[in-house]
Amino acid sequence: MTAVEQYLKPEIIRQIARLDLRAQFIVKGFLQGLHASPFHGFSVEFSEHRKYTAGDNPDDIDWLVYAKTDKYYVKKFEAETNLTGYLVMDLSASMGYSHKQELTKFEYSICLAAALCYLMIHQNDPVGLITFGEKIVDSLAPKSKRQQIGNILSMLAKLKPQSKTNIGQSLNQLAAMLKHSSLVMLFSDLLADPDEVIASLRRLRHGGHDVILFHVLDQAEVDFPFEGLVELHDPESNETLEVDADAYRSEYLEEIGKFRLRYERECRQIGIDYVPLDTSMQFDRALTEYLVNRRNWG
Amino acid sequence: MGFLTPVLLGGIALIALPIALHLVMRRQPQKLEFPALQFVRKRRAANRRRFNLRHLLLLALRCALIAGLAVALARPTIKGSGLRGKEGAPLAVALVIDNSVRMQYVFQNQTRQQKAKEMAQWLVDQLPEDAQVAVVDRSRAATGFVVDLGTAESRVRNLAVENNPRPLENAVHEAIRLVAEQEDHRQEVFLFSDLSVESLDEAALEAIQMAMAEAPDVRLYLVDVGVEEVSNRALQPLELSGSVLRPGQPLRVEVPAEITGLAEAPLVEIYLQGADGKPIKRGQQILEVSAEGSGRAVFELGDLPIGTHQGLVKFSATDALEADNARYFTVEVRPTAKVLLLGERKSDALFLREALSPSLIANRADVRFQCVTETVAKAASIDLEGYDAVCLLDPPPLSEGLWQSLTEYVEHGGGVGVFLGHRARLSNFNGEAAQRLLPGRLLRKSRHATYLRPQQLDHPVLTGLRNYAEQIPWQLYPVLQYWEFGDWTGDAYVVARFADNKAALIERPVGRGRVVTFATAVSDRLEIENREPWNLLPTGPEPWPFVALSNQLVGYLAQSESEPLDFYAGETVSLRLAPRHQISSFVLHQPNGESLRRSLPPGEDTIQISTTQQLGNYRVASGGESRLLDRGFSVNVSPAMSQLTRVAPEVLAEALQSEQVKLASSLDDVERYVDIGRTGQGLFSWAIMLVAIVWGAEHLLGNRFYREAS
Repeated sequence: MTAVEQYLKPEIIRQIARLDLRAQFIVKGFLQGLHASPFHGFSVEFSEHRKYTAGDNPDDIDWLVYAKTDKYYVKKFEAETNLTGYLVMDLSASMGYSHKQELTKFEYSICLAAALCYLMIHQNDPVGLITFGEKIVDSLAPKSKRQQIGNILSMLAKLKPQSKTNIGQSLNQLAAMLKHSSLVMLFSDLLADPDEVIASLRRLRHGGHDVILFHVLDQAEVDFPFEGLVELHDPESNETLEVDADAYRSEYLEEIGKFRLRYERECRQIGIDYVPLDTSMQFDRALTEYLVNRRNWG
Repeated sequence: MGFLTPVLLGGIALIALPIALHLVMRRQPQKLEFPALQFVRKRRAANRRRFNLRHLLLLALRCALIAGLAVALARPTIKGSGLRGKEGAPLAVALVIDNSVRMQYVFQNQTRQQKAKEMAQWLVDQLPEDAQVAVVDRSRAATGFVVDLGTAESRVRNLAVENNPRPLENAVHEAIRLVAEQEDHRQEVFLFSDLSVESLDEAALEAIQMAMAEAPDVRLYLVDVGVEEVSNRALQPLELSGSVLRPGQPLRVEVPAEITGLAEAPLVEIYLQGADGKPIKRGQQILEVSAEGSGRAVFELGDLPIGTHQGLVKFSATDALEADNARYFTVEVRPTAKVLLLGERKSDALFLREALSPSLIANRADVRFQCVTETVAKAASIDLEGYDAVCLLDPPPLSEGLWQSLTEYVEHGGGVGVFLGHRARLSNFNGEAAQRLLPGRLLRKSRHATYLRPQQLDHPVLTGLRNYAEQIPWQLYPVLQYWEFGDWTGDAYVVARFADNKAALIERPVGRGRVVTFATAVSDRLEIENREPWNLLPTGPEPWPFVALSNQLVGYLAQSESEPLDFYAGETVSLRLAPRHQISSFVLHQPNGESLRRSLPPGEDTIQISTTQQLGNYRVASGGESRLLDRGFSVNVSPAMSQLTRVAPEVLAEALQSEQVKLASSLDDVERYVDIGRTGQGLFSWAIMLVAIVWGAEHLLGNRFYREAS
């Protein structure tokens, strides 16, 4: 792993205080690991030639220019379509949870969102930010200018998980809010009634929006690493339960597996990219998911 | 089930402790934040039930741990003997050791008897000081409890081999009876046996089972000291051409043998004792063994001089069981018996003489009888003492002097045969002089045609016919006339009868001699002028029964009939003394070289010897250098002692299925049974192991349960 690539690890990124640097590091680290050139556009409109660099698709080499200049040039394309992206952050209290991990679910989501914002602005795609709790709390209109990175990042940096959540209602609200087809990148732990959430995802999709659902869970929520007798407290509902963790682990894992599987299946059905993540995973997984989606769009 | 220290069972009360702790002190759970509670909530009820169950399980394990520890420390034991209400009572133990010859079978450099003795001694060592011990073996002598353990041990140590063992079940029965008498004791019988079929056949097992049933408190431990795979060469009883031979008659010795588990053909040797008493090898043969393991060697020894000859046949190689590798034999070569045949005419003796000493072979040396024929008229001038037997053939009335001299002759040990015929007259034969010899008064001549029909063939006169009893066609030799008798005189008795149940052959012992009277003549030709022949015994077709009967009868009269000289160990030997052997004492030379001097009551004509435990050749001598008496006999081991076949385990199991009987094949088994039987088997080790397992389970479960958050 090269020095840059290690910035894909949450435990490294945590040591970087500024969110803009975090985003840059993640993106740099990510791009370094890619074999294909990220500067290859997704639009079809030719804009200019540029020198071939290793990693470019040889299909894009302009052989006429080669014939004239005896040098390799690739064609560069100008984005013609405006892919408007929305980073949608869940502000629920449960997002602030971390059990022995470097980053909380919320921090992880923010890093990821920042990196995506960075990538999109680089693609000249307009990016906006929407945060929600029980309903939409705040929003920043999408723009593709460079300053937008600063705006979004500063806003992300200020966010704190605080309230109870109602994902379904918030998404419905969002669907009503968005006028044009957009790419909605939703960051949430989805700890709510799945029926409601799936229904609103359907609605969002029905509105012509592409959705990437980053399902961020804490590693503890995925692995249930507790032992012995434990009393569990839900910060959101203030409910407590006393369980024998050892005996319960297999059942919990089964439940959470079923939960994720349901989202995966439903999302596939309605054409949503479902990205199950946990806070111990590297960021590239999420970024790759975005890029694949973006390419399909193009 | 019992406990050595039952008071420690009180420790079980300590299980109250974990129960109290369980009720009072419940451990606080570790508090954790966890947003994904909705997944936990779904199955919480089931989890809670399981949680409680585990809690209770843990509590149960802890209680079991404490209770188990208390039980283990109380030293539990299993009482396996079922000796009702006799725990702690002193012991009455009988050790039955099979000391028969067969137990001399060597395996792993140890005879079976040595192994049995070793185990028995070990057992005696284990017994408490106050135990009553009896050592019973297969010797005839009855035994009782010995004084102390030391005596018991020395009795076991000094146990000798028994060549003539009594049935094993008798010894076992005696042992059971002995311990059963000790009613206030725990009663145990240990039987050390090789489990051979000979000693434990069906009848024996049944007898043991019955004896056990009569004594329900007695425990029988059957200790197997036998060997599964046996190999042995055994000589079977020798078949001699005769125990009494005539001079010049060769001795034919047939040696049957049984080979078990050994492939090579063995070499068989025959030895004959020389004049100095040392054995001289007279022949050897390689035994041809059949597929079934049996073989037969035949030796022929000639040129045996008059006298007693002893020898042995043995295998040149040794095997595991030594006792049946040699067989001893004794034969006597006696001079030809002189027989005086008296008739009114010499021709009267023709048939008898031809039967006794056929003229074709009369000159041979090995002829049994040397016959002299004389007329009654000249009888008075003959010295009867020179003859072994005198036969009167159809005697006419004899002078009183002749009757007198015949009577004296018989009283001194001679034998007289009287074959009554048509010349006999009541007046003379019922006279006083004749009646001292004849078995009774003559009544009349019977003309009722009949035939000889001997029923019991156990008289020496008839024993030679025994093997052919069914084949003799007595009807072919009718008896047309015979003398009937009145009451018998003195000791006279009927040896054989005619078919009409009238006496035919009558013996009357007189003094040391014998008189045998035949009620019909044997001197009549087939065709006689003026009268019918008295019978067709000598003149019928192929009269071989007459020949056989004559030889037996005259041999008996001459006291030269063969007698058995081969015995099994323990049998009582009786040797008839010839009339001239008037002795008052004799010396018995035993095979081990020891000599015993015995006296004989005056007038006794038979030597009875019962000390025949040793195997080998015995010699009976009297008269010192003059060798007035020099006889001998052989004692061999019974062929049953060579039977090494073992009782099938299933037969044994079926026959002795009672709880009272236990089978052991090693010292460990004995030890285990003894321990269980007496003090119960200690369960401490098992109990403490169980406690350890429970403790481990408790530890594991407790650790999982109350694991500290790290």
